[in-house]
Amino acid sequence: MNCDSTDPGDGVSRRAVLAAGATGLVLPTSGCVDRVESAVDQEMDRLALSITTVPADGDREAVRIARELEANLEDVGVDASIDMRSRSEFLETILIDRDFDLYVGRHPAGFDPDFLYEALHSAYANEAGWQNPFGFANIPFDDALEAQRRADGDEREAIVADLLETLAEEKPFDPICFPEEHRVARTDRFEGWSADHPESRHGYLGLEPAENVDRLRVLVTDSRISRNLNPLSATLRERGSTIDLVYDSLATEHDGELVPWLAEDVTLERADADDDHVARARITLREDCRFHDDEPVRAEDVAFTYRFLEDTSLGRAEFESPPPRYRGHATAVDTVDVEDDRELRLGFAAGVEAARRALTVPILPAHRWRDQIRSRAEDTTSFTATQGEWGLVTMDNVPPVGSGPFRFESNSEREHLTLERFDDHFTRREDVDLPAVGVEQLQFGIDPGSASSIERVANDGADFTASMLEAHALDSVPDEPDVDHLAAPSRTFYHVGYNTRAEPFSNPHARRIVSRLLDPSWIVDAIFDGHATPTAAPLPEEWVPDELGWDGQDPATPFFGSDGDLDVETARAALESAGYQYDDQGRLRL
Amino acid sequence: MYAEVLTQVLTQVAAVVAFLLVVSVAAFVGRERLVATVREWRPRVRASAPAFAVLLVVLWLNRVMRQAGPGISERIGVHMTETFYDLEGEFVLVFQSIATGELTAYFSFIYVYGYAFLLIFPGIAYFALSDTRAFRRLLTAYSLNYVIGLAFYLLVIAYGPRNVMPEELTVTMLYDNSPEYQHLTREVNRNTNVFPSLHTSLAATVGIFAYETRSSYPKWFPIAVVLAVSVALSTMYLGIHWAIDVVAGLALAVGSVWLSNVLVGRRSIAELRRDVARRLPDRDDRE
Repeated sequence: MNCDSTDPGDGVSRRAVLAAGATGLVLPTSGCVDRVESAVDQEMDRLALSITTVPADGDREAVRIARELEANLEDVGVDASIDMRSRSEFLETILIDRDFDLYVGRHPAGFDPDFLYEALHSAYANEAGWQNPFGFANIPFDDALEAQRRADGDEREAIVADLLETLAEEKPFDPICFPEEHRVARTDRFEGWSADHPESRHGYLGLEPAENVDRLRVLVTDSRISRNLNPLSATLRERGSTIDLVYDSLATEHDGELVPWLAEDVTLERADADDDHVARARITLREDCRFHDDEPVRAEDVAFTYRFLEDTSLGRAEFESPPPRYRGHATAVDTVDVEDDRELRLGFAAGVEAARRALTVPILPAHRWRDQIRSRAEDTTSFTATQGEWGLVTMDNVPPVGSGPFRFESNSEREHLTLERFDDHFTRREDVDLPAVGVEQLQFGIDPGSASSIERVANDGADFTASMLEAHALDSVPDEPDVDHLAAPSRTFYHVGYNTRAEPFSNPHARRIVSRLLDPSWIVDAIFDGHATPTAAPLPEEWVPDELGWDGQDPATPFFGSDGDLDVETARAALESAGYQYDDQGRLRL
Repeated sequence: MYAEVLTQVLTQVAAVVAFLLVVSVAAFVGRERLVATVREWRPRVRASAPAFAVLLVVLWLNRVMRQAGPGISERIGVHMTETFYDLEGEFVLVFQSIATGELTAYFSFIYVYGYAFLLIFPGIAYFALSDTRAFRRLLTAYSLNYVIGLAFYLLVIAYGPRNVMPEELTVTMLYDNSPEYQHLTREVNRNTNVFPSLHTSLAATVGIFAYETRSSYPKWFPIAVVLAVSVALSTMYLGIHWAIDVVAGLALAVGSVWLSNVLVGRRSIAELRRDVARRLPDRDDRE
């Protein structure tokens, strides 16, 4: 067909076509004009996706995964781009604003599979915070999340296995790999380094300083620690971080076991079948514990904490305002009854296993936080506490007042956070069978680079690198007698998160196909230099059913291709069979 | 402990730059001009004081914005990393194909030491001229570069190539090879301050001034050009800036030099005041 409309032989002059187009009279004979128009439409309808991630300064491996995904998306005809945000802005975009298509990041996970309840339950799909950032809503899946929470033992294991299989089908997020956590420590100034996670409550306990050493010099690559110590902040930390050093919890997790902490004794048992609760606990607090402002720690503070973690406005605001963190922990607790200053009874909506996690929230001093809420409620005539965003959950909380083994000493933004030993802490008592803090001062210095952090420990400019060292820098760890290289597997996992609230990822087929554009085995080899374990499930091996075990590829959503090389034709065919269409230039249409 | 590393790097930079300055002053400025400067420094300082004061205020502002900038940027800034990357793609990676150990060492040296020297030396050289205009214009042009650059930093939030393409840039990336410099640049900059490249604009500013003053300092002109070009290239070679940032830096330099020419009079404010003071009694006489 002759498509040159300027050709006089066509019978329609160019000017006439233009005039007709301008007056809205579309001539049925002017097929060329139609084609031009549809080409414009196609450009507008092209599927465009923005991958949110942090810059290489924040997480070099995440950027590399994001770029791999970007390239592969482009190959299958998507107009892909990378939206790069600083660490805190990244979390703000994903967790609070929920303004993303898909993202690449690392999930802090948790020691019990119940963290999935918080991460995926549809009840939280509209809340801001770590609770369900994907907007995922699936009724049978909700039922499974609730069932695993109530169950214990083998029954729970079976439910979790089913849950993981549904998760692998539905893909609200796509787990990629568990990184290894690498750190370096100097052994000439401190003894007793172990692979314990340094941000856990046991992290800095039991370290023996050499003579005349009164300060532990720790490096972190993340400067957020020097600006914000609010335990409720969603965006200024991923894991518990220093919060666990400044605040105590009733119990704490160590090597997978629950260890009584602020509680001298925890009796946690499944309730009878006819009970209102699934499990019950009797808690006795340690005697004479104090907050850093010398106020006593009472059972009342524990009750306050659980009440507060349900609604940070304590019922004063028009709508409830649950915090953007610890959401799953708090909802596992149904009732808290204070018996006296040291005795409490807790009733759980969870079984014994899932309830353990609820006992690890930081215990906040009621007198301080009540004042905070009161002053904020009085400041404004109509008190609204926007969920996840209001002042109380975003304030810097400097100085923090907890009851933990360390108390705040000083900070300087982007430079350091200095904590000092809290001498009244129970771990320092003779009759308490827990390791104590040896050193007087703990200083976190900010050093943005993994390579420069390693160099400083090697040059005796610091004692320890607390942040996970990036895989690319591990070659520079020196082989010196005074420098220990500590390595441990991580619970945290790299993943691609999808915004299931909007097109195209409201469609599980789209999520599955995009998940098949990444090759975790190749990513682990090429990007992590082998310092990671590829995975198809977001939980450690003991929870993963055989069907989901890693056998060189993801059994549920295997990579389209091999060795990181995408088989573009197969991927495009999969998209077409899922109902997507390509234009004549191979671009994917929305 | 943070300060220790910084002090160490700073001392090292100060020592090297001081050495370069002494050699250059001897080579380019010469004994005669120095003697004259020692004799006439008071009026010259008086003449240049306002321009100097403005520069100090601007540098102080830069310091303040380092803390306050991110908050303001968050509200009014536009995320541009994607845009820059879409526009120029992997252009800066062309330098990776010519990368060698020597070249990386050269550009790292230029980026830190060469740059510091390039900015300070003209200050001394122009102060040593009996006509203070070049000196006043230079200080004003520096101030303009900073002020306009800072405004862009607030408006444009973008990460440089090293943050976007870390794997391709590992060979030359400044902070991987010389992590100690990160402490230095962190003191004066943030990783989202990439558009425009102030390294480029200030170096180019010095280059243009060297051209304009080539009759006074003929031997400095070629040296300044080589250094300025090297600084601009180093920002891309080391993966710190996009080519777009460098182009914008050049434009900023041209604009700042031109504006400094418009703003700074042939005669200093001190001289003008003296003239006015002299003329006023004249008028009184007439009345």
